[in-house]
Amino acid sequence: MKADVPRPRLHERLGHLVDAARMPVLVAISYWLGAKAAFLVGTLSDQIFAPFWPPNIVLLCALLLVPTRRWWLCILAAFPAHAVAELEIGMDAPQLLVAFATNCMVALLNAFGVRKILGQPPWFDTLNKAALYVLITAVASPALSALGGAFVPILGGGAINDYWLHWLQWFASNALGSVTLGPILLIWLSEYRWRLGRAPIWSNVEGLLLGLVLLFFCMFAFELATRALGRGLVPALLYLPLPLVLWAALRFGVKGASSAVMIVTVVLIWRALNGPSLFSAEDPETNVFGMQAFLLGLAIPILLLGAAIEETRTAEQAVRESEDRMAFAAASANVCLWHFNRKTDRVWMTAHGRRMFGFGTGETITRSAVVKAIHPDDRDAAIAALRSAAIAGQLADNEFRIVRRNGEVRWIRARARTHSNDHGEQTFVSGTFADVTDRRAIEQEAASQRRELAHLTRVAMLGELSAGIAHELTQPLTAILSNAQAARLILADSAPDLGEITEMIEDIISEDNRAGEVIHRLRGLMKKGEPQYEPVDLNEVVHSTLRLLHSELIGRRAKIRTDLATELPLASGDAVQLQQVLLNLMMNALEAMTDVAPSGRIVLISTRATGNGYIEVSVADHGVGFASLRQPYLAQPFFTTKEGGLGLGLSICSSILKSHGGKLDLVNNPNGGATARFRLPEHQVVTGEVS
Amino acid sequence: MSESGFTVFLVDDDAAVLRALKRLLAAEGYEAVCFASPQAFLADHDSSVPGCAIVDLAMPELDGLALQDALTKDDASRPIIFLSGNGDIPTSVRAMKAGAIDFLTKPVQRETLLDAIVRAQEQDAAARRWRLEMQAINDRLEQLTPREREVLAYVVAGRLNKQIAADLGTVEKTIKVHRGRMMSKLGVRTVADLVRMAERAGIAPVLSVQHEA
Repeated sequence: MKADVPRPRLHERLGHLVDAARMPVLVAISYWLGAKAAFLVGTLSDQIFAPFWPPNIVLLCALLLVPTRRWWLCILAAFPAHAVAELEIGMDAPQLLVAFATNCMVALLNAFGVRKILGQPPWFDTLNKAALYVLITAVASPALSALGGAFVPILGGGAINDYWLHWLQWFASNALGSVTLGPILLIWLSEYRWRLGRAPIWSNVEGLLLGLVLLFFCMFAFELATRALGRGLVPALLYLPLPLVLWAALRFGVKGASSAVMIVTVVLIWRALNGPSLFSAEDPETNVFGMQAFLLGLAIPILLLGAAIEETRTAEQAVRESEDRMAFAAASANVCLWHFNRKTDRVWMTAHGRRMFGFGTGETITRSAVVKAIHPDDRDAAIAALRSAAIAGQLADNEFRIVRRNGEVRWIRARARTHSNDHGEQTFVSGTFADVTDRRAIEQEAASQRRELAHLTRVAMLGELSAGIAHELTQPLTAILSNAQAARLILADSAPDLGEITEMIEDIISEDNRAGEVIHRLRGLMKKGEPQYEPVDLNEVVHSTLRLLHSELIGRRAKIRTDLATELPLASGDAVQLQQVLLNLMMNALEAMTDVAPSGRIVLISTRATGNGYIEVSVADHGVGFASLRQPYLAQPFFTTKEGGLGLGLSICSSILKSHGGKLDLVNNPNGGATARFRLPEHQVVTGEVS
Repeated sequence: MSESGFTVFLVDDDAAVLRALKRLLAAEGYEAVCFASPQAFLADHDSSVPGCAIVDLAMPELDGLALQDALTKDDASRPIIFLSGNGDIPTSVRAMKAGAIDFLTKPVQRETLLDAIVRAQEQDAAARRWRLEMQAINDRLEQLTPREREVLAYVVAGRLNKQIAADLGTVEKTIKVHRGRMMSKLGVRTVADLVRMAERAGIAPVLSVQHEA
């Protein structure tokens, strides 16, 4: 089914017609205005050859603005304008037609070349594109079209012998238009049509002022040149406006360059054709050509310079934006980027880094300023880490504290790489600083909580052992009391046996020491505080733990067998924490054997050196073993199989061992029961140099 | 008081405690013998020696309560005083029910310990006296003929000779002879003395006999 398309009403059709007509009318008017301008500026009434021909540029712009399929309309629209303009200066029909044909040819070739080779605008943002534009519109297509264009003056009565001169003039005239008015119009139109750029140049006050100054300066310079005719100073004076032109190119890129050249061109042509010629050739044609050559020689390099500057500026902008983005991303991650030059002793860092260290925005940062900011306790280690990494050619990774100027201490993680120059010298160091204070605080908080928890479970375990421990204390106290009471009785005798009393006192002393030892051990386990890492004899830890458990073992009717390695290397760690681990594992072993007949309640404790730098301690029981499926959860916090158990024991053992660089393994024995086995690294003996 | 022949047996796995208690008891005039384990004590045990045992509750292998069980099984009524590091109530109740003299917590005060020993000594002496009496009664009862023993049971029940004769199917005169011989063998003159003795010996009085039709 076909949808009903409503027939357009009359005014709508008229509207479309007006829309369609707007472009050709605009083209025609512009073309005509361009031609008039050319005549006004540069063509004497008796001379029909313009040294600079804007209509072709107008046509080129029109062609580039419309789709290729509507190019015919542009050409059609331009013809009446061309005819009117040329007839006004009295050109006859054949001349007019050939001129129009060559004009159309150059415009079409230009438009085709630009569209095919340069594509969509912007057309002048790189040196490459600008150079291609010059090749197409100022070299190739004018050269080709000029082959036809040269006939126009001949048709107007010129000598056929002057064909190549006319060719050259025709060529130069079109080339000049392409490199002066062309870029201005094309940039302006592309910015307007495709909304590419920022504010138009003419709204820029600096540009306007520069244009005016250039205009007056050109007039002044060429006036001077006119007066200095014949004194050989003309070439020098012609180049007087060059600094201003360069300024325009530097400040405004291609737009500035083309506009400045345009001003110079207009003033020079107007000046040259309305006064004494600045170019001292005899015939006006050669004169005009000399001027064109000068203007082309000026315009092309300036245009290319403008494009190069624009390209550099865009690249710089891109780099700056990329750096900005990177710095922003780094700052968001609380990371700063830095770079250090050994030769100049200067450190560059991102704004975030300056804030991190507390350096002022414009402050010069030297290596020593950064080193000075490092906390005195961490300074040597930080420098050594960086240096050793640099020597090994590796990435340095180090954490240290810095002290800000307001006294605030922050933790910084530094990563750095050293870069060598071509001679192999390590000239640059660059890297990142990340503020890890928050992470450090969390870690410290976690560590202190772990310590607290370890202490709490230790105390709770001592609570469980309290009956046994009480027995350990009452035994010596009983012996002391009875000895003392016996001694008192003996002393009351008329002839006391002093030898016996001495024995009693000896016993009292040794029993008191025994009680003191129990209390000492208890105090150690109750103690709260930072772990003390020292060389530890694990056999001694086993013995000490067994002494503490003596009564508990009797109460539980369990036997301990030990298989302790002789000459066991020392481990490094906190004796109290390690005793806690052993105590916990042994209590677990005892718990596991509650339902086993007393004769079978045997725990085997063994120690051995593994031979690869570790010491292994294992506690094997003959109890119920671990239910194998639960194995992964055994050392997880709050997992328990015991009634009334908190489920923290093994988890804490595991974390204590981990903090010692060790590891806990739990396995079921093949013939019943379970073994808890842990390994700790051997204590590294620091060999001091003996002098 | 050692001349009384009373010995204190000390059982504790802790040598220092043993030594100290022995010294104290020696100073108090008791003869004390030390054993480092319940097994050693049991192996050496002679129930005929008057004395009491002071036993530590918590010892490896065999604890105090198990030792008490072993002693009771042997029917050797040795008074036991328990010492314990921490006296929990269920354990002490169990020990006391099984006949312990006392349940003392360590460290034990001299007075408390001596008081318990004195009580143990009294109990031991009483038990020994009672055992001697029982021995004498049993010796006499064993001299009775079966018929005389039968008559004894009827007499302590307060039956008259005539009734006994009827029950046993004999004549009163025969019963009279048995009764006179039985009384003289047992060395009692009155029925009241006879009843007291029979009670101690655990002889049940026979009130009547069911006749079979």
